Amino acid sequence: MAVPTSTRPEPDRVPAVERPSAGPQPQPATWVLKVVMAVTGTVFALFVVVHLVGNLKVFLGPEEFDGYAHWLQRDLLAPLVPHGWFIWIFRSTLLTCLVAHVWAAVVLRHRARVARGPHRRQGLRSFRSFQARSMLVTGVVLLFFVVFHVLDLTTGTRPAATGEFVAGQAYANLVSSFQRPAVAAFYVLAIGTLFLHLAHGLWSVVNDLGATGRRLRAIGAAVAGAVGLLVLVGNLLIPVAVLTGVVA
Amino acid sequence: MKLTLDVWRQPDAASPGAFETYVVTDATAEMTLLELLDRLNDQLVEDGREPVAFESDCREGICGCCGVDVDGRPHGPQANTPSCEQHVRSFADGDRVVLEPLRAAAFPVVKDLVVDRSALDRVVQAGGHVAVDAGTAPDADAARIGHETAETALDFAACIGCGACVAACPNGSASLFTGAKLTHLATLPQTRTERGRRAVDMVAQMEHDFGPCSTYGECAVVCPAGIPLSAIAAVGKERMRAFLRGRTG
Ligand code: HEM
Ligand code: SF4
Ligand code: FES
Repeated sequence: MAVPTSTRPEPDRVPAVERPSAGPQPQPATWVLKVVMAVTGTVFALFVVVHLVGNLKVFLGPEEFDGYAHWLQRDLLAPLVPHGWFIWIFRSTLLTCLVAHVWAAVVLRHRARVARGPHRRQGLRSFRSFQARSMLVTGVVLLFFVVFHVLDLTTGTRPAATGEFVAGQAYANLVSSFQRPAVAAFYVLAIGTLFLHLAHGLWSVVNDLGATGRRLRAIGAAVAGAVGLLVLVGNLLIPVAVLTGVVA
Repeated sequence: MKLTLDVWRQPDAASPGAFETYVVTDATAEMTLLELLDRLNDQLVEDGREPVAFESDCREGICGCCGVDVDGRPHGPQANTPSCEQHVRSFADGDRVVLEPLRAAAFPVVKDLVVDRSALDRVVQAGGHVAVDAGTAPDADAARIGHETAETALDFAACIGCGACVAACPNGSASLFTGAKLTHLATLPQTRTERGRRAVDMVAQMEHDFGPCSTYGECAVVCPAGIPLSAIAAVGKERMRAFLRGRTG
């Protein structure tokens, strides 16, 4: 009787694994969507931190603040790119990231629901799980806030903006906007929401981008928390300063 | 000790299930959860009723078949402990305890508390092929593996495939399970040769039946093998590594 030397298939003729629950593979792959989430989320996180640094110049007075705003709009990266171009390159990048981030978020959350099935996980009490579960809600609040914020302080569109809005007068616009208690309250809510979204989001980035080493994970967890807190406290100082008259 | 048990009863995957309530009056603190179910079944059989179906084999935390949901938590109230090693002493006299099968769309109910976890087996199958003719077993010391490396591989090989991580996850994700397998096999020299191909195939198979990870971290809380949360990061790491090296499967 002939004994086969190997019953193993050739590597290039490996039979596909039988998939009884077959059907098309989800497209785009979940891991790709998670990378999109992580990269766009990181872009937002960097933006939010740089934005905070800019915001805090409000404590240096109107000239500093308006001068900085003008520099952003007109002179940043010039003459590498013509005057006034940077801001549009910047805005289109952020907008592209936003579309990708929201799209990936919706697809992922849908896949998560389907994979979980009709019996939802119950009784989760940890702060981490609260943050994770509310990512879509906090994200949508942030989306509303971003739209409002742009209408209020960038385009000066009423009723989001005040009647006193003057293009280029960033400092005065900010002060008059925050003198409306409802706007200050919405801003505080948005900053709280941003903290929840960002602190958990950055920890997700650490995991999604594959940090497995113990030390790297510890650093990642610390950075995620620290960035979240920094953005929370830093941004809260501004409406408090306006409402208490420190910035007027 | 008296316990009121709300137990999920379901004749098969196609039929709807529902909770039925039973009272066990002679439970004792040192009973395990499975012994409590044994006691309940003795009663049911004495009364001429259908016993509750549940799975068990080793009853010492190594086979991975016993997992049930206790008050909505896979395996039971004690963290990182399989159902067979959970004890009645976690409950107080007079407590009401809800027992359900592990919940995930990928785990259809076979009967009562028994689920079909073969979606996990398919993930392992997807990674299990060895492309070289391995011949007879190599000498034990042919490939030298340092102590640390061996320990790391063993830590991740400790996964018993119980499926609790999936049931603990609000997204029905099997990232902890898959990450444990990927890490274990990527750590050792013999299995490292297939590293990229394995990551592509296992992740594809995983994504077919299971959800995405949103970093809830609930999986590592229930895992009876103590697989650390870093395993979920290994999924992205191994898959991105394969992509960057041009592996397509
Ligand atoms: C300033 C704005 C925003 C920042 C700084 C931000 C940041 C982040 C970060 C860093 C992550 C983690 C990415 C990862 O999974 O690795 C994330 C996840 C997420 N974001 Fe955002 N995001 C913002 C806006 C939004 C908006 C507008 C939505 C709207 C729907 C949204 C929805 C989500 C969801 C649902 C997740 C979780 C995805 C998952 O569970 O896997 N985010 N975000
Ligand atoms: S990783 Fe842990 S919880 Fe998940 S299947 Fe393996 S042993 Fe069970
Ligand atoms: S019966 Fe084997 S792990 Fe519980």
